[in-house]
Amino acid sequence: MLRFLDHLEEWLIAFLIGAATLVIFAAVLHRYAAGMPIPGVQDALLKLNFGWAQELCIFMFVWMAKFGAAYGVRTGIHVGVDVLINALEDRKRAWFILFGLFAGALFTATIGTFGAKFVWGLAGTDQTSPDLEWPIWIVYLAIPLGSFLMCFRFLQVAWSFHKTGQLPHADHGHVEGLDKEAEVEWALMPSDLHPSDVKPGKQP
Amino acid sequence: MTGVVIFLLLCVLMLTGMPISIALGLTVLSFLFTMTEVPLEAVALKLFTGIEKFEIMAIPFFILAGNFLTHGGVAKRMIRFATALVGHWHGGLALGGVLACALFAAVSGSSPATVVAIGSILLPAMVKQGFPKNFGVGVIGTAGALGILIPPSIVMVIYAVSSNASIGKLFIAGIVPGIMLAALLMFVAWFVAWKRGYPRMRKASWGERWASFRESVWGLLLIVVVIGGIYTGIFTPTEAAAMSAAYAFFVSVYVYKDLTIKQVPKVLIDSANLSAMILYIITNAVLFSYLLTSEQIPQDLAAWITDMGLSPWMFLLVVNILLLIAGNFMEPSSILLITVPVLFPVAMKLGIDPIHLGIVMTVNMEIGMITPPVGLNLYVASGIANMGLTEVSKACAPWIIVMIAFLLLITYVPIISLWLPNLLMP
Repeated sequence: MLRFLDHLEEWLIAFLIGAATLVIFAAVLHRYAAGMPIPGVQDALLKLNFGWAQELCIFMFVWMAKFGAAYGVRTGIHVGVDVLINALEDRKRAWFILFGLFAGALFTATIGTFGAKFVWGLAGTDQTSPDLEWPIWIVYLAIPLGSFLMCFRFLQVAWSFHKTGQLPHADHGHVEGLDKEAEVEWALMPSDLHPSDVKPGKQP
Repeated sequence: MTGVVIFLLLCVLMLTGMPISIALGLTVLSFLFTMTEVPLEAVALKLFTGIEKFEIMAIPFFILAGNFLTHGGVAKRMIRFATALVGHWHGGLALGGVLACALFAAVSGSSPATVVAIGSILLPAMVKQGFPKNFGVGVIGTAGALGILIPPSIVMVIYAVSSNASIGKLFIAGIVPGIMLAALLMFVAWFVAWKRGYPRMRKASWGERWASFRESVWGLLLIVVVIGGIYTGIFTPTEAAAMSAAYAFFVSVYVYKDLTIKQVPKVLIDSANLSAMILYIITNAVLFSYLLTSEQIPQDLAAWITDMGLSPWMFLLVVNILLLIAGNFMEPSSILLITVPVLFPVAMKLGIDPIHLGIVMTVNMEIGMITPPVGLNLYVASGIANMGLTEVSKACAPWIIVMIAFLLLITYVPIISLWLPNLLMP
């Protein structure tokens, strides 16, 4: 079940960024191709309307941003100012880390609730988006869904930190296609944009 | 007064090590619930509409484009081309390193990835040729930051989004300073190499140069697609970003064949992950700047500064010092998203050109990449060179001085940044 959720999350954000690229790519090509006087083709192209492309792209990226942010908690990509707490000894740092994770859970839960109320209010109306004419509440559903998922991810990371003392670490300097000996275990390197792990047994 | 409280709260929350986006959001929330009369509905709406701007969407597209080309194969081609051009001068490999970093960073859009890609190939070669290791680390670590200034640059898009400046103008404004900085770093490297007698390489023939150019040109054309597309008005900046992502996909999969189709989903996920992180900071920064504006903080600050009679050059000095300090603790996008909403209105009131301010801030961000304790370039450089962070910081220190000299030049000679955009896009 959880594994399914993980895959769904990955699949969704990869699809959204890829599809948004294709949509804008197609819209730009269409704009120029329709300007060329090729008999037959031009008429067919002019019948197609890409006016909605921009709006669709924005919606896709809003959804990607919300679900990607949740995925980012799981991969540990969210940056912070960790100079101070990384200088602390393990036991103290562990408390700060937990505080940060719970603060994240609190914030996303609050936003999720805000968002749910807002969407609930919109669902009663028949407001639609300007170009695509989609019901606006479905579009904005990304906020409560994404925020609650993110809240869940914060709690999940907090739980596994409590169990193992380890946090997920994102890799800011990863490059594919370098020779094997040049590869370094980035995840093991300290960086004050992220909190360091604590030794097993030191976590609260 | 409120302003002081807001920023104090933000600083305290950030220092506990929580994600910057969460710290921004919590600051806003705690204010809403306790001390302000901003209607909650207005904020709820901001949550939804905060990133609903087509310009912002350039960020994920540029990240995607960069990730397609962040590959060892691309780095090797750039290095071959760069060393074929300048390798025969004193300190040839170091000069080639600076040039390769500039090209690769512009295309990949990531400073740390540039240091890793170029550094892990060039550093061993430099040490083998007899360069001292710390010289190599200093050169590559510093030059890796060049990409922020050379378009397409995500940092510039972020500045443009939070100040409403033109993305196209900023990109074009970055060209001259970017080339100047690359030339300056190369000149310093050459001078040191010449004094100390570092090795040079055999002069490449024009045939070799042409061959290496033809190999690397596919990657470099990305810059042309973006700049040319925006300048001629074929694309809007966001469209240019999307086109560059499609182009980068095509080049890496079908021309260079560095990536197989099977690896594409991984690139998509990684790009979405990084973009979502930045977009999430933006969402919360929009909330934060909304709070600031509704509390009249930028306006008050502007009034206060004009009352004090602070002249533009003093203001810019303060901005530089502030950003250099911030650069020690945070990464570029967060710094800009937090500081631009406050500093920009003041700068406008003092009559500073928005494009010039953007370039000044961008150069500041470059220096932040190589200053301890948080400079990302230092971390990755220490990883590839197997040196401690302190040693790497020491190796980069002389270069920081060069960068600061350049920053002063950019700050007080606005014509360097403004000449080209004013010429091309009056």
